[in-house]
Parts: sequence; structure tokens; C-alpha cells
Amino acid sequence: MRHRTILEYRDYRYLKLAALIVVAVIFAYGWYKYPVGHYGGTPLGYTLGTIGALLIVWLMWLGVQKRRYRTTGDIKGWLSAHIYLGTSLIVVATLHAAFQIGWNVHTLAYALMMIVILSGFYGVYTYLRFPSLMTENLAEDTLESLTLKIADIDREARRLALGMSDEMNKAVLTSIKETRIGGGVYAQLRESVPNCPTTIAVQLIKASAGTAKGEEARKQQDLYGLMLRKQRLVGRARTDIRYKAIMDIWLYFHVPLSVALLAALVAHIVAVFFYW
Amino acid sequence: MKTKLATITRNKKGQPASTEQTVVAETLRIGRGADCKLHLSDPRIALFHAEIMCGVDGVSFIEARGGAISVDGRFETAAKLKAGQRLMIGPFEVIVLPPQSDADLALSVELVDPLKDDLEQVKSQVKAGIKSTWLSKRLFSWVAFAAVLLVFLIWPVMNAMERGHGKESMKIAGLTADASWDVGPLSSAHASFGSNCGACHQEPFVQVTNGACEDCHKKIGWHFALDTKEAKAVHTGIFGDTQCSSCHRDHKGPDGLVRTDATLCTDCHQNLKSKHPKTGVADVADFSKDHPPFKVTMLLPGKTGPEALVRIQQDDKARYVESSGLKFPHDVHMSPKGLRGPDGKVKMECKNCHTPDETGTRFKPTTMGEHCQSCHSLEFEPKATKRQVPHGKVADVIATLQEYYAQAALTDAPIDVVLEDGIKRPGARAGETKRLAGLSWANAKADKISQELFEVRVCFECHQIKRGEANAEPAARWQIAPIAITQHWLPKSRFPHSQHDTNKCDSCHAVATSKLSSDIAIPDIKNCRECHGGNVPVKDKAPGTCETCHGFHTGSPKSGVPPILPGSNQPKLMLKTAANATHVAHSPTARSNGTGGASQ
Repeated sequence: MRHRTILEYRDYRYLKLAALIVVAVIFAYGWYKYPVGHYGGTPLGYTLGTIGALLIVWLMWLGVQKRRYRTTGDIKGWLSAHIYLGTSLIVVATLHAAFQIGWNVHTLAYALMMIVILSGFYGVYTYLRFPSLMTENLAEDTLESLTLKIADIDREARRLALGMSDEMNKAVLTSIKETRIGGGVYAQLRESVPNCPTTIAVQLIKASAGTAKGEEARKQQDLYGLMLRKQRLVGRARTDIRYKAIMDIWLYFHVPLSVALLAALVAHIVAVFFYW
Repeated sequence: MKTKLATITRNKKGQPASTEQTVVAETLRIGRGADCKLHLSDPRIALFHAEIMCGVDGVSFIEARGGAISVDGRFETAAKLKAGQRLMIGPFEVIVLPPQSDADLALSVELVDPLKDDLEQVKSQVKAGIKSTWLSKRLFSWVAFAAVLLVFLIWPVMNAMERGHGKESMKIAGLTADASWDVGPLSSAHASFGSNCGACHQEPFVQVTNGACEDCHKKIGWHFALDTKEAKAVHTGIFGDTQCSSCHRDHKGPDGLVRTDATLCTDCHQNLKSKHPKTGVADVADFSKDHPPFKVTMLLPGKTGPEALVRIQQDDKARYVESSGLKFPHDVHMSPKGLRGPDGKVKMECKNCHTPDETGTRFKPTTMGEHCQSCHSLEFEPKATKRQVPHGKVADVIATLQEYYAQAALTDAPIDVVLEDGIKRPGARAGETKRLAGLSWANAKADKISQELFEVRVCFECHQIKRGEANAEPAARWQIAPIAITQHWLPKSRFPHSQHDTNKCDSCHAVATSKLSSDIAIPDIKNCRECHGGNVPVKDKAPGTCETCHGFHTGSPKSGVPPILPGSNQPKLMLKTAANATHVAHSPTARSNGTGGASQ
């Protein structure tokens, strides 16, 4: 059976729910007439605002649920609901605001909400795209097993290089000591690593092919093979880290901004009723 | 050269164990190369790292070859070796031992900086997961939460509370604390409040009260006059606890404060009896298709005073007649052929008599002195004098005539006085008898001319006059009909002439064929509908919502004016009679009016 994504959860149960909410809200907005036009303070506006605020709080509750590892229902269901109901929030909140924007805390809350939702869309995209790419990249390996394999190669290469020229030996040693896999935020996210010591070592060994003879040449050949394997392993490890970083990084916007949204929402509600 | 080498290794507890060997060679080559006598198998050592030789003076010295060496902590390319020196060759520590009798040189060698385990090495270079970086969801979340709450909630609330104690609004970079709470621009009327939110929002978490509005809007009227118990009961029944803010929502831009939607009115007025069974006001749903004919507000015939005002529907032909007490044929005055004026032919235009008032909304009253008298002179003896009778009381007219003719009889230059002998003598003075005869003549003459003026020409030309007793007091000899001119025909609508001045007068006021002053030339609803739409905006038509013509707050809460003439919109009537006026306006029958509105 084909793998079902979170979007398809239980035959699009939450897509249907979200669509129902959106249609109902649009219908209510079209049907409802208020003497001075639509805005957040009409009875419909208050209703939409309440629905929106409850949705926001509920959607944020998901984050807490995930942290607790003790969820009501299964996590896929929660996530599916989170995505679809979060998306429906665009319509609910836009109609609550009645398309009015300004330089104020009310629009700040709206803007934060939109950024949070859009970052969530990116999150959905990564959830749908990267797990398969990760599997493809790692095959039967894990980052741990790749590390072990690299360490084995290092040991072997170091032994082989001992008998070779200082230049080659040094290149191998630098590769062992300075080949960084992952690192800071940017290092984890970037696709290629310039001046990677392993790449440099591979190129050096390749360039000096033919300079040795007999036993020496065979050893060089062996070393070249080792370093080439290491280069590939390092590449896969880096790709794995990159995918994970991409799948993680949006949460560093999504979560803090949704917390900021919560604060703006509180300020918005207090402000509206403080100066009723 | 004979060298003793003690290779030191250490067990797990760090206790040293020494393996000694003696090397005999010309020079002591040091490196990881197979040909090196001091073979240091470590990738950090060059193939041929350094070389120790025996100098001519018998003192050994070391020279760097393929790698770097340090002697007692200093990097050197060559150095003489002395007992106790500490050399670092890559990760190896080499100590020069005290001279021994059976060797040229004694050294101890120890690997003091072993390579890391390969797996540990690789692991130390792998850093995976955003979590391992400086980024922190928790930190960012707290900072963002605190920042937003501080700037957009705590600061404005603190500011509002401070201001509650009479302090000024805090400002940072020109922005007040609660600027961020402002949901939208204020109406133009309230724009001057600026950031003084407390002017209207007087109590936190309490909707703007009527009291806040009435602080300024002290004279605002109710929807209709609450002058009777019944009116008050009806008002309470319909509006209950409706607040100002139920309809007036500010922060919706310059024009946003006033409701202009039809439902404001039609909610009740399309079936007003359901709200007020005794109402005499006709139902209205939409100006374009469901609005009763206009009712003009005018005086009952022959009556004066506000109590005589009635509202007559335009299709009530029998009563739709003005009784101004004047004679004024518009057709004669507006004749395209022109009129005979004092200075030749005059072709009159509407504006000759109807001049806009200061606001351009309606017209100034038309007056005898300003608008009529230049043609309609009150000369009574035009052949002899330019003198005119006063435009006023009957008695004054008679008195003027008596004075004039008496003077004429008794002075040197009477007009047609004939003395007893029939001869006019300059400088002659008449005797008593003659003077009495002259006075008698003058009175008779005045009577004759009075009768002429009141019954044939001059006064009679414009006024409706009845003859009284011939021997009555002069004031009672003729009765001039009271002048009752309606100045505001449609006081319940607001019709600004200035906004319609691109149209010709006769496109609304058909006066060219009006022969009688009783004709009323107020346009009917069809005329307005030619240009104005209804509740729903129509392409190529001007708006025609209720609010286009009518206001809401047209009743006064304080004065006891009748509902038909609510509050400030009471029509200003010019109620004067020839008997008590110094000058009389003539009837502007061809006029529509309107400042201020009133409900239907």
C-alpha cells in the first residue's frame, strides 16, 4: 500500500473540516450585513475573532502536545489537523479583519499569523519532500554508521600515508583532522563546502598519479581509493545533515513567531476592549 | 656516532616504562621514513624530519630537515644539544640526557601528544542538527513574547493609567504609547482629538458612553421631539437603550462616522406602524420606487403664526395652493419679450429677485425695497413729484397724501390750487378762510388719491385689498390681506441649491407659465428621481439614499416644538402684514428650500 502523507490523513478528514469552516465563514461574511460595513467589532466580527483566537490557541497547543510525547489521538492526526485548520485561519482572520490593515498591533497580530502560516506551509513542504530524499541519501546507513565508516577509512589512510611523501601524508592528515561535517547554522544548510580538506587530498593524490612505481604506486592507488570513498561518505553525511537542518530551521521561525503572535493576540484583544 | 635511545611508554596509570636501544650511525636521522634510525611512526612527523650530527668540537647538534623542531620551547632550525634540553619533534618529546661514558649522546623519546582515536576524531568534527547551534527556539520565543507584550500591551496600558492621573502621553520617536492600538484614522470631525484616546474612551473596558459624546454634542436632537409623554414613550419603545456608538463608529476614516445606509431608516420606516401604530408618517422603503409624494410645509390660507403651518402633499390639488396675500404672475415677469422698466425694457431673470443666502443653500427673502420697488414705484402723483407713499401702514399712506396736498394748498406753489379770484399770485398769503378752503381741498384730494392707490393702482397692483367703512378711521378704510410667504417649503429635507447650480432653475421650477401667485413651483419627486437613484447605487445617477436628503437627529430633546417642526429645523416663516410691516416681501412661489433635514 502506498504511503499516506499527513495531508491525506483519514481520507482528508481535516481538509474537509477546514473546507467546511472556510465555506461557512465566507458564506456568513457574504450573507451578514452590518450597517457600517464589515469590521472586527460587528457581531460576526466578534464571532470570527473568537473562532480565530481559539484556533490559534488550539494550534499552539499542538506544539505543547508534541513536546510532551503524550498525545490525545495520534500525532499524525494532530499534525494533519494543525495544517488544515491552520490554513483555514487565513480566511477566518482575513474576514475577521474585513481586509482592513494599518500600522497597529491589530495588523501586527494578523501579519505575524500570516508569517507563521506561511512558514508552516514551508514546513509541510519539507515534511513531504525531504524524508524520502533522506532515505534515498542514507540508504541503509545512518549518520552514525557513516561516521564509523569514515573513521575506519581515516585509520587505514593514515597508515598508508605514513610511507608516502610529506605532502601527501600531510594532506591525508589534514583531511582526517579538519574535514568538518555540519557545524554552524550556515554550514549545515549550505550545499557545498569550499576547500574541503578531503576533496583537496583526493585531488592531490589524483594529481600525483604516475609519479611512483611498483609497490609505491599500488599503495598510492589504494590511498586514492580510500580517500575517494571517504569523500563520498562525507558528502552523504553532509547531505543528511543539510536535509535535517532544512526540516528543522523553519521551526526556528514558526515557533518563536507563533509565540510572538500569541503575545500580539493578547495585546490585540486587550487593546480592543480597553478602548472599547 | 653512538647514541643511546630510551623510548618511554606509559601504562594506563601513567607510570613510565623505558625501552633502551643503542644506535650507531654516522648521523642520527629522525623521521617516519624507514631509513630513519630514530623512527617516529606518526603522520605528524615528516619522512625525514630532522638530523642529529656530531660537530667537529665533539658536541652534538640537531638540524631541522623536513619538519619543525623546537628547543626548550623555541622553534629552531638548528641547535647545539646540551644535557637537560627538551626538544619537541612533532608530538614527541625528546630530552637530552646527561652524557654517558659509553655513548656520544643519550636521548629519551616519548610520544606526549598521541593521535586521537579515529572515531573520536571524526565524531568531534561532525556537528549535526540546528539544535547544536546557537539558535534557540526557547530563547527566541521568550524574547519575541516579551518584546511584543512590552511594546504593545504593557507600555500602552501603563500609559493609559498614567494619563488617568492627568499625565501627558509618553512619546518615543514621536509615537505615543497607544498609537499602536489605533484601529484606523479618526473621522474628520474628531481628527483634532489626535492621540487623546481618553476624550472618548473614558473608562477602560467600558464601551464609549453617550455621556462622552454629549460632553461636546450638547445640543444634539433626538430623532423626534420628545415634547409629550406619548412621544417619550414611543421613543423609548423604538430606541430603548440605543447608544450613540450603536450607529456612530469612529476610526473608519474621514467620512466613516455617519451611517449612510438605507437600513438605518428603512428598518423602521418601511413599516412604521409596526413600531408606532398611531404614526401619521407614510412608509418609505426606497427613494427610487417607494417614497410618498413630497409634502410641502406651508401656512393655512389666511392664517399666520407657526400653529397655522400644515404639511400638504403635492398631489392634494385642492389644498396645494399658496395664499400669500400678494398678486404675482411669474409669467408676466419672466416674459421673454421683457418688461417696461423705469429705464426702458428689462428682461428679468430668476436671480434678479432670488439671491442665494450666505450658505448657498436657499435664498434670501425677496423684499419690496430691494427687488420690486425699482419698477413698482410708489409714486402717487408722478406728473408733479417723485415722492412716494411709504410702503407700510394704510394710515401712513393716507397721512402722507394729506400732508402732501395740504402743503401744496398752502404754499406758494400748489399744484393745481386755485384761489378765490382764480389768479395765482406769487408771495400772496391766503387768509384764514382761504386756508381752511385749501385744507378741505387737500383732504378731499388725499381721499381721492388714496382710493386710487388702494383700489386701482400702486398698492392694488400687488396686494389683495378690501375696502372698509368709508368714514372709518384712516387705518380701517382699507384692509390689506396679511402677507404670509413660505420661506422653507421642504424643511424636512436638506436641499443645497449650491450643489445643484449646474442645472437651470426652470429644469426644476416651472414658472414660465404660472399666472397666479397661488401656484406652487416646488418640483415633485419625479423631478428629483430623474437624477437621483435609490438605496442601491445606480450607474449614471446621483445617490438617493435616505441620508442624501434627510437627517436623523432632527428632534430636540429640550424644546417643546411640535413634531412637525422639529428643533433647529423649524422653517423660518416671514409672517408680516401690510398693517405691521415697514416693508413687505413678495411671495417666492417658485422656490424650493432646505437647510437641515427632518425625518419623514
